Amino acid sequence: MSITVKLHPILQNLVGGQELVEVTGHTTGECLENLESRFPVIKQLTRDKRGQLRHYCEILINTKSTYPEELTAPVKDGDQIDVICFFAGG
Amino acid sequence: MLTQNDLVRYKRQILYPDLGEKGQKRLEQSHVVVAGLGGLGCAASLYLACAGVGHITLIDCDRVELSNFNRQILYNEEDIGEEKPSSAARKLAKLNSSIEVTPVFKKITAQNARKMIKGANLVIDGMDNLKTRFIINKACVAEGIAFIHGGVNGLFGEVTTILPGRTPCLACIFPEFPHWELELPVFGVTPALIASLQVTEAIKFLARFGALLTGKMLYLNGNTMEFTVCNLTKNENCPVCGTEEVRK
Repeated sequence: MSITVKLHPILQNLVGGQELVEVTGHTTGECLENLESRFPVIKQLTRDKRGQLRHYCEILINTKSTYPEELTAPVKDGDQIDVICFFAGG
Repeated sequence: MLTQNDLVRYKRQILYPDLGEKGQKRLEQSHVVVAGLGGLGCAASLYLACAGVGHITLIDCDRVELSNFNRQILYNEEDIGEEKPSSAARKLAKLNSSIEVTPVFKKITAQNARKMIKGANLVIDGMDNLKTRFIINKACVAEGIAFIHGGVNGLFGEVTTILPGRTPCLACIFPEFPHWELELPVFGVTPALIASLQVTEAIKFLARFGALLTGKMLYLNGNTMEFTVCNLTKNENCPVCGTEEVRK
């Protein structure tokens, strides 16, 4: 099963500019773990100390919000997951 | 009504076929609230005034300080200690005396937000914190007022245009109020770029032409000089703009 993760620009910056990453998994959480196993640095921005997704990050599947199942939503072959972060400054 | 002076002042943009005199009149008749007068709000209000938006309300609850000057381009060193809205309004009045500028030195809260934006055609997000952004988003949805969100972090930035009831709002994307504890880095050029994009959206929306950044977040990556778009879908379970049943 092939799922594509599209990284938010600030996460792309952490992984050398890569925008799209092919991952495997049956849920958004499994896909994110697969991504983080290859790019551990991503966790610094996306997870808190307890491993929960930070509040300023969200997970979309095919442009739709997965809230409140950000880490448990089922995915299927061909889906695109967007990992987005909120830019808070002004 | 455009005066002879207006026709001269705005000649170069009136030449743009989609704007023309008709669009310029629409700008003149518009009222835009700039919520927050930091890096985003300073640059946005300057370009709104340049474009000839007839009435601009400037809201902020801070005073000018030294640490503002790397990005907040409406203030001078002699303004330190002055209320930002009155300082900014003075500069805009010098730039364009034919428009009305209303300074409001007040903190935007969940209690007063709707009243502060009531009657405006559009609100520009110039905030420097997440909490007030979400308060304004909610107030704009409740009042049915368009909201152009902008946010920055270092050399990164984002913009989206929210039309209540028709497009995803901020809470569609982030249903739980996001917290950001750290002080963020920011260059002057990043809010300048993002504010320019916000005002581009404002001009098109007010003058009624072009395609808007609705249902999509435009990201700027200043490190690589790339723009990317993330498509967004309205969330029926959104706590702010979802169905009445959800909001109860």
